[in-house]
Amino acid sequence: MAISIGIVGAGTMGAGIAHIAALKKFNVQLYDINDEVIRRSVEKINFEMKKSVDKNKISDDDMKQAITRIKKRTNLNDLDTCDIIIEAVLEDIKVKRDLFKKLDQIAHHTAILATNTSSLSVTSIASATKKPERVVGMHFFNPVHLMNLVEIVKGARTSDDTIKSATAIAEQLGKKTVQVKDTPGFIVNRVARPFYGEALKILGENIATIEEIDRIVKKSGGFKMGPFELMDLIGNDVNFSVTSSIYEQMFHDPRFRPSQIQQQYVEAGLLGKKTKIGFYNYDDK
Amino acid sequence: MKKKTPNKKTPSLKRMTIKNTATIERLRTETLPAKEIKPVKQLICLLGDERLVKEYSTLFQSHGIAVLELKSLASLKTSAKKITVAFELTMLADEQKAINLQVLDEMLPEQTPIVLSSITSTLLLQTHTLKHRDRFIGLAAFPTLLAHQLVELAPSLHTSKATADTVTALFTSVKKETAMVQDSVGMVMPRILCQIINEALFTVQNDVSSPRDIDEAMKYGTNYPHGPISWGELIGFNNVVTVLDALYHNHHEERYRVAPLLRQMVIAGVFWKPKE
Repeated sequence: MAISIGIVGAGTMGAGIAHIAALKKFNVQLYDINDEVIRRSVEKINFEMKKSVDKNKISDDDMKQAITRIKKRTNLNDLDTCDIIIEAVLEDIKVKRDLFKKLDQIAHHTAILATNTSSLSVTSIASATKKPERVVGMHFFNPVHLMNLVEIVKGARTSDDTIKSATAIAEQLGKKTVQVKDTPGFIVNRVARPFYGEALKILGENIATIEEIDRIVKKSGGFKMGPFELMDLIGNDVNFSVTSSIYEQMFHDPRFRPSQIQQQYVEAGLLGKKTKIGFYNYDDK
Repeated sequence: MKKKTPNKKTPSLKRMTIKNTATIERLRTETLPAKEIKPVKQLICLLGDERLVKEYSTLFQSHGIAVLELKSLASLKTSAKKITVAFELTMLADEQKAINLQVLDEMLPEQTPIVLSSITSTLLLQTHTLKHRDRFIGLAAFPTLLAHQLVELAPSLHTSKATADTVTALFTSVKKETAMVQDSVGMVMPRILCQIINEALFTVQNDVSSPRDIDEAMKYGTNYPHGPISWGELIGFNNVVTVLDALYHNHHEERYRVAPLLRQMVIAGVFWKPKE
């Protein structure tokens, strides 16, 4: 029997998870409060899968079948038969806690409740439910169908069985898994902080220019992208808010102090690729 | 395809979109009187950290350049005049290194450039009592980085254009790109890299995850070329600590505090090994 996976929130991450789950023959219930969002989300999945077909990564038939496995849902109660429900709504602790309280009542009593949060406390989200032991973090990376990792996050009260099941499901989705305790930034967002923060500090100390730092990091360190290119890609607003959130949660440990330079880029609306200008200029000309 | 150009459209941020520092700008714009370039037979002299000497020696020899790995300063006497560029590759700027630099400065003809590791102490500080400060230039000589195509150089206020040009040309002749950064502790790549490795060790120490999972997460979650802990091991954790300590003492900032576990690993000589 195919595993039934519920996805709450049909934004970028929700769509990405639905995409890979459908290809791996899961029954997907994609929920969003707004049916227009779901429609666009499935369109985007279609578009991305089409690209994989063009690259001969999947067949046309694979794609057709996968799309039929995605059921559009606008009633949360329809997720009551899911084996696992993954939440991918906006990063707001109150919104997530309210949602988990509802999911706890709707979901089958054996179902796993997972959050795709990247910066909030899994423990806090879990404590909104009556069974925090079945709540786990499953942190996917964007774009989900290309990034081969899921951080399995153990909240303070998450059970070992829940960790095992979440790990098994992530593996069935074709991902590598790592296990991490519920701490600010988990592994990736924490250990990657100096890549951005130290580069910004070097810039602030006038040691090298943006272009030179990127060139050095790529050509002397062997990184695929330089820190400023990557911040432009992620969005300076998103990157700055992740840093600020980790800094707050670490009670102002100076290793995580956000950069005034990046703050000003955010204030100036120079967010990166999505605004066509950030540390670099992405105009079409 | 969209073309990516440096962001020059933001006058309000001019202060922050940094121009190259005065030193680097000077070296770039200054022109030297045209001189007839006579082909010289290169002889590179290397001394300092054994492993770095090996790495640089291999690089030059693989491009047909003669190398003299200096075992003692006394042996310099006979060959001093033939040396075209000297490298002092000791990472830690200790007393022995100061002696090495002084002897090199006294023995080598005064036009011969001397390239020195300037990661744990600035070039300015390491050369300020020497006689021919203009012939010195700093280098981010750091284990594992020479595998890539670019070397990071740092001129001091005193470095001459001739020195910078000669050393750049030498690296070009062995197919390496160069980047000039301001003379500063940690320079660019070693500083960023050591901070990433340090954070990875804090993460182990705080029992957030296992070393193996941390390495996997960074490779597959953000496409790092190596996991940070394996990378630290390749570099040598002692070298990582040396750089972090130098940054800490230079900045007096807790930001550069070495993870206690990392320091203990260096003292004990016990390193984590990934299980196959």
